[in-house]
Amino acid sequence: MNTPLISLDPRITRLGLYEVIPETLVPKSPLDQFETYEAFFQKKVEGHYEHTGPVHAPHPELAYLFAKEQYSRRGNTCTGIAVVKTEDIQATAFTDNDKNIYDLIIPRGEIDLSGPVKSFDIFHMKKRGQHHEHVGRVEAHSAEEAIYKAKQEFSSLAPVVNVWVAATEDIRFSTPEEKSFWDTLPLKKYREPLAYKVQGKIDQYKKEHSSN
Amino acid sequence: MYGGGTIFESKGYKELSLEDPEKLEAFQARIDRGEKIEPTDWMPDMYRKQLIRMIEQHAHSEIIGALPEGTWITRAPGFRRKLAQMAKVQDEVGHGQLLYSAAETLGKSREEMFNDLINGKSKYSNIFNYPAFTWADSNVISWLVDAGAIVNQTANAKGSYGPYCRALERICAEESFHLKYGHDAVVHLATGSPLQRQMVQEALHRWWPPLMHFFGPSDKISVHTEQLMRWKVKMATNDDMRQQFLDMYVPKIWELGLTLPDENLKKNYETGLWEFTEPDWEEFKRVINGDGPCNKERLAVRKSAEEKGAWVRRALLSPKAQYVQPLA
Repeated sequence: MNTPLISLDPRITRLGLYEVIPETLVPKSPLDQFETYEAFFQKKVEGHYEHTGPVHAPHPELAYLFAKEQYSRRGNTCTGIAVVKTEDIQATAFTDNDKNIYDLIIPRGEIDLSGPVKSFDIFHMKKRGQHHEHVGRVEAHSAEEAIYKAKQEFSSLAPVVNVWVAATEDIRFSTPEEKSFWDTLPLKKYREPLAYKVQGKIDQYKKEHSSN
Repeated sequence: MYGGGTIFESKGYKELSLEDPEKLEAFQARIDRGEKIEPTDWMPDMYRKQLIRMIEQHAHSEIIGALPEGTWITRAPGFRRKLAQMAKVQDEVGHGQLLYSAAETLGKSREEMFNDLINGKSKYSNIFNYPAFTWADSNVISWLVDAGAIVNQTANAKGSYGPYCRALERICAEESFHLKYGHDAVVHLATGSPLQRQMVQEALHRWWPPLMHFFGPSDKISVHTEQLMRWKVKMATNDDMRQQFLDMYVPKIWELGLTLPDENLKKNYETGLWEFTEPDWEEFKRVINGDGPCNKERLAVRKSAEEKGAWVRRALLSPKAQYVQPLA
C-alpha cells in the first residue's frame, strides 16, 4: 500500500511523494556520480597549489566549478583553483614518515624516450595525513621519466612520503581573469564565527534577572 | 553535523585471526607511532569495513541533516538569517561530499552508498528523524546538534585514517560558524519577547531527548570496541562524549534561564560527572529501525531528489568515462 506523504512543510507535501517501499527501488548504475577529479587550492598569489580534496563531475569545466564551490566558498582568501582527472595522476607508493620515497625510486632499465617532450607538474606529500603540495614542473617524455627528473630536481628538499605526477596539459588551472571570482569572499562575514557576538546579550539578561 | 553512529558495528569482515600477523603488527606499529594510514596501505579487513561504515553514516547524516534546516531557509526571519541559514545548509551538503569521497578511498563507490541510504541498509544520525516544528527548532539544531557533532568530530579528527582526518579538518573549521550562528539565534529568542522565549523553551524540551540519544547508548566494552580504539577508529566512548557535551552546553542553557526536561540532571562535583535520567533507549531503537516521526519523509525526499536528477546525470555522462577511486 502506498500512503501519500504528509509533511509539516506544505511544499514537501505538494511534491506528491509516497512513503517509500524499498522493493520498488532501482539501484543506481555505475558512474551515475561521474568521474573523479582531484582539486587543488591556491590561497595566496604566487603561493603553491595544495591538494584540497576530490570532486565528481562529468567534464573538467564542471569539475572546476564544483571545486570552486566546494573548496573556495569559505575562508577569506583564494587566488586559484586547479582540477585534474584522478586517472591522469600517476602516484608513487607511500613510505614511512621518516623515509624518503625518492630513495626508493630507481630507474628499472631503459626509460622510453620516444614521443614529444611535455611539461609535468609534481606534487609532494611531506608527511602522512598532510595534503599534497605543488613543488614545480619538469619536462619529460613520459610520467615515468618525469618522476626520475623530479627526483634529481626536488629530492634535496625535505623528505616526502608520496609523489603525484600529472601532465600540465591535463590540469585545469585558474586563469588570471578568474581571480575576480573570489573578490567577494571577505564580504560574506555572516559565514564566519566572528560575526556572531552574543556575550553582551547574555550579560544583559543575567544582570536583569539576577536574584538580588 | 553528525552523531550516534557509533553503535552500528560493521558485520561481514574477515576475522582478525585470519589476517597476516606480521602485517597486522606493522600496521599497529604505524598507528602507535602516530603515523596516519593512507588509502593504498595494507589494512585489516575489519579496519576497512568499520571505517567505511562509520564515514558513510557520517556522510548520510550530513545530507539528511540538511533537510530539516533546509525547509527553514525561506521562512527564516530577515534577510541576514536567510543568508546564514543557506550558507549553513550549503556547508552541510558540502560536508557530505567530502565524507563520501573519504569513504570511497576505502573501496565503496558513491553509487553503492546512495543505494544503501535509500534502501535503508545504511543508517544516518537518528536525530534527523525528528521534525523541526518552528524556527526555534531549527535554531536548537544549529546550536546543539552541531555542538554534539563537534564533540564527535573533533575526537575523530585525531583518528588514524588520513583521508577522513583531512575531511574532518575542513569540516570542523566550518562547523565553528554553525555553532556560533546557532547560539546567537537561541540567545536572540531567549532574551526576546515572552512569546519568543516560550518558542525556544518548547523547542529545547522537544530536542532534549533526541540530544541525549545523540551519542548512542553506553558502550559495552567489547573486544571489538577495544580493538577499534587501539586502531584509532573509535576515539572516545559514547559516555565520554555525552559527558563532554553536557559539561560544555548545559551551563550555557541554564545561564539563559531556560530549563531542560530532566529534573535529575545535575553535575556531581565529587565524581566530576553529570547525572541524568537514563534516556529511553527503546524509543531510540524503534526510531532507528524506521518508526520515527520523519524517517519516511527523509528517505522519500532524498529518493525523489535522486530520481528527478537522474536524466540530467545520464545526459551528461560521457560514454568514455571510467570509474577511478579518489586518491586521498
